Amino acid sequence: MARVELKGVSKAFDEVTVIPALDLEIADTEFVVLVGPSGCGKTTTLRMIAGLEGASGGTITIGGREVTDLRPGLRNCAMVFQNYALYPHMTVADNIGYGMKVRGMPKPEIATRIGEAARILGLEPYLDRRPKQLSGGQRQRVAIGRAIVRQPDVFLFDEPLSNLDAKLRIEMRTEIKNLHRRLNSTMVYVTHDQVEAMTMADRVVVMNEGRIEQAADPITLYENPANTFVAAFIGAPSMNFVPATVVGSDGGLALRLNDGSELAIPQDRWQRYGAAKDRPVTFGLRPEHNSGGGAGEAVITLITRAIEPLGPHTLIIGEAAGHGYTAQVDSHFPAAPDAQVSISLDMTNMHLFDPDSGRAL
Amino acid sequence: MMKRPLVFGLCLFWALVTLFPLYWTLVTSVKPPTAVNGGPTYLPYIDFVPTLQAYIDAFSGIRGDFISPFINSSLISITATALSVLFGTMAAYALVRFEFRIRLLSGLIFAALAIGGFLLFNETLGFSRAQAMGLAFLLALPACLLANRLPLPGPVLGNNDVLFWFVSQRMFPPIVTAFALFLLYSEIGREGFKLLDSFLGMVLCYTAFSIPIVVWLMRDFLAALPVEIEEAALVDDVPRIRIFFEIVLPMARPGLIATSLITLAFIWNEFLFSLLLTTSEWQTLPILLSGQNSYRGDEWWAISVAALFGIAPMMGVAMLLAKLMRSGLTLGGIR
Repeated sequence: MARVELKGVSKAFDEVTVIPALDLEIADTEFVVLVGPSGCGKTTTLRMIAGLEGASGGTITIGGREVTDLRPGLRNCAMVFQNYALYPHMTVADNIGYGMKVRGMPKPEIATRIGEAARILGLEPYLDRRPKQLSGGQRQRVAIGRAIVRQPDVFLFDEPLSNLDAKLRIEMRTEIKNLHRRLNSTMVYVTHDQVEAMTMADRVVVMNEGRIEQAADPITLYENPANTFVAAFIGAPSMNFVPATVVGSDGGLALRLNDGSELAIPQDRWQRYGAAKDRPVTFGLRPEHNSGGGAGEAVITLITRAIEPLGPHTLIIGEAAGHGYTAQVDSHFPAAPDAQVSISLDMTNMHLFDPDSGRAL
Repeated sequence: MMKRPLVFGLCLFWALVTLFPLYWTLVTSVKPPTAVNGGPTYLPYIDFVPTLQAYIDAFSGIRGDFISPFINSSLISITATALSVLFGTMAAYALVRFEFRIRLLSGLIFAALAIGGFLLFNETLGFSRAQAMGLAFLLALPACLLANRLPLPGPVLGNNDVLFWFVSQRMFPPIVTAFALFLLYSEIGREGFKLLDSFLGMVLCYTAFSIPIVVWLMRDFLAALPVEIEEAALVDDVPRIRIFFEIVLPMARPGLIATSLITLAFIWNEFLFSLLLTTSEWQTLPILLSGQNSYRGDEWWAISVAALFGIAPMMGVAMLLAKLMRSGLTLGGIR
């Protein structure tokens, strides 16, 4: 039973406030990923939960126990670091068992737990090796093993996969996810990689400049981003943003772009966007909600600047209505650089944002 | 193209410059007196017939007792090195991992209370000098620690200032400290606690004098260690003292060995303190060496033997420790 609760937690270094009062509740057994650009305060938040960084204000509760002023060792957290942080002079078995040895656990019990962790993580053949004799993936497994044997209330991961190569990262992603299912414990995971966040999390917390921009499950974040920051951060390539004005047309609503072209807004959105009529907005549409050719109802002309064939599909990076625009089209769609192509837009997936606050309308 | 031979030539030249005195001492020690006092001779068996007479003289004791200064030097330098490296490394670790804020005014309070207290206890209340010193210290230390907790005005010193304070103790000429130490030791001796010409006295003064160097060297070694490894241990509820002894020290091994070597060499070769603070019982090797030509005149063969007694152990230790000083020990702990 380990709910983690942050109430009004803030952090200031000297005079500089890095995290203004922040509220976050993490349910028991939930896998929460904190994601955001570097310097957004996600790692600081994690370190405050671990107790490695003191909170300047607010309270932190783990499993109903207030831990705000407790030292790290008494919070019953286990932490996995980006650079593994293994004890270089100890074998794998000693690395995993050291904490238990210090806490005075009986030797047979330590051996059992080391064996169990090694079995789960496939480390059995390496127990007598030193960290420097292991590969990056194996080292990170040792670090995870050290966390597992602690039997903590909450697991904290600080960008654990960032030092691994791409292929290994995808493998370890699945492994950590399976581990979460198997241990059924609360996990807080920090990453700057939105793909990692989306694929692993029960709930993603998108942070920016010390604030939580949106906290939701991955699909909600993708389909209903709360603001332009989240919309741009989640999804690759990033969502297209084009300034536009909502206008009335044929009893319904349409978007007028800067070049004068009009795109019809689907009927089911009329009520939602009615209040924005005759006002400037930011129109957002993901590259994958475009298709090549002028077949649909909403069509724009794209001046191509670069073409990136990716195999399953091709990206056309160009300009529409005077703004950068990326469209994902079929691999065999004929396009050449510095030419004009027609792109049809899937307006059922459109987003409108307030141009000043960036909030979704 | 021309660079490599040039660099090689310069290195060779410098090697000769540093090795020649050593060679000269070595051959002089096996020369018969005639080979020394005539013109220069360089090669044994060609220029002169080598003899071990100087060594035989040395061991038979006619040039003074070699054995007890050798044992004194060994005991004092090993003990003082061990203590100063231990305490200096602890201080360096504290300076690297914790933030200190020391109010300048509390330091001044210490100085004022220490000096004023001494005068009060000694001159007004009639305590002896050593007693007055001890009492003034007992008064000043807690007072300044308490004062540091108060929101006193004035500048606040940080870790770098503390480090500078450590290093600054080595900036003035050692003779300044040596005289002060002599007076301090003889005052304490008057209370019946012998520090002059004693093992404890020598170890204390060498430890105190070596700690600044240890702090200065070890700070850089410790600052280079990845903090995450210690944080991992903190999260795992490992007490700070065990982190220091079981994780930090093993990782800092190359630095510890290098620092120990430098400290050991310094204490082994130290002359001034030993000259002032010892008389007979705890005399160290450098004192014996310096006294060599006053025993029976400039008998360079005998002096060379004595010098080799001073050089050989240090060379042995340096070679042994250099082997242990393989770096790259933290490899694998972090990426």
